[in-house]
Amino acid sequence: MELEDIVIEGSHKNFFTPSVNFNAKTGICELSGESFLEDTAEFYKPLIDWLVEYTEKIKKPIAFIIKLTYFNTSTSRCILDLLNVLKDYEDEGGEVVVNWHYDENDSDMEEDIEDYMIDTGLNINIIPF
Amino acid sequence: MEKTGGKYDFSLYEFHNLLHQNILVSYKGPIDERVMTVIGENIEILTNDGNDRTKSKIFKIFMELAQNVWLYSAESCKTMSGKQLGMGTLVIGEFGDYYTFVTGNMVKNTDVEPVIEKCEIINSLDRDSLREYRREQRRLANQGKKNSGNIGLIQVALTAESPLDIELTPVSEEESFFSLAVKIKKKTVKE
Repeated sequence: MELEDIVIEGSHKNFFTPSVNFNAKTGICELSGESFLEDTAEFYKPLIDWLVEYTEKIKKPIAFIIKLTYFNTSTSRCILDLLNVLKDYEDEGGEVVVNWHYDENDSDMEEDIEDYMIDTGLNINIIPF
Repeated sequence: MEKTGGKYDFSLYEFHNLLHQNILVSYKGPIDERVMTVIGENIEILTNDGNDRTKSKIFKIFMELAQNVWLYSAESCKTMSGKQLGMGTLVIGEFGDYYTFVTGNMVKNTDVEPVIEKCEIINSLDRDSLREYRREQRRLANQGKKNSGNIGLIQVALTAESPLDIELTPVSEEESFFSLAVKIKKKTVKE
């Protein structure tokens, strides 16, 4: 069965849903907006499973692009899970590029990204806007 | 000033004055995402001194601490639809070149010791060590080994760039009132 794309439109109501666009043909996976969810694990599980399936069945390059302007600590755990899937794939020979765009005045976010690099061992391109 | 009226055992004017000095927003009651939205928006408007960095920090701290009260307060109530809401108090005050954000809620005496210990650890660490502590706690939480509620506290200390000022006031044999205050310095853009 073919891996279907994940397309989620972000929304900012009482909870904040990020925008998600995981494309199985191009390998371009984008996660942007804000993340504060009622059930964080439930939202991110399909995304994590998708990445695992892509790395096991499709095995082409992945460009993972993050443009989150806000995420709570619950989300930060799921981001770690996503990045660890990418690191495992890279360790097995998969081609992985991670670009994290952030507001250049947000030094807290810059530190967060550095900490993810230390934690996962992934090289993350930190791109200010 | 003499109390006028006298019909109620509660002087709203005195209460208002108590809150009026330096306090931008205060709330006491149940907390859920709807309450967080309204208070969050009010905070955004009232901390609008032209600096987005400070506003963003206050917002991040508010989100973590408010949700902690919602999830972990020993005092809670149920909505009509059966949703359980933690109850507590949130206050944000402005004092010259800094803001203070305080939350308070009831806690069970049997539950509070680990939280106090965690705050003490957090307060003892320098920034680099605190970042390492957050990395470690997050890893452990993801491995199912720890409760992740406390990563929020680590995050608050990092965002505030200041210690967690905690106070525990015994109320009964079973419960105490736990309050946590952080100071957020007003920043200039390139600081």
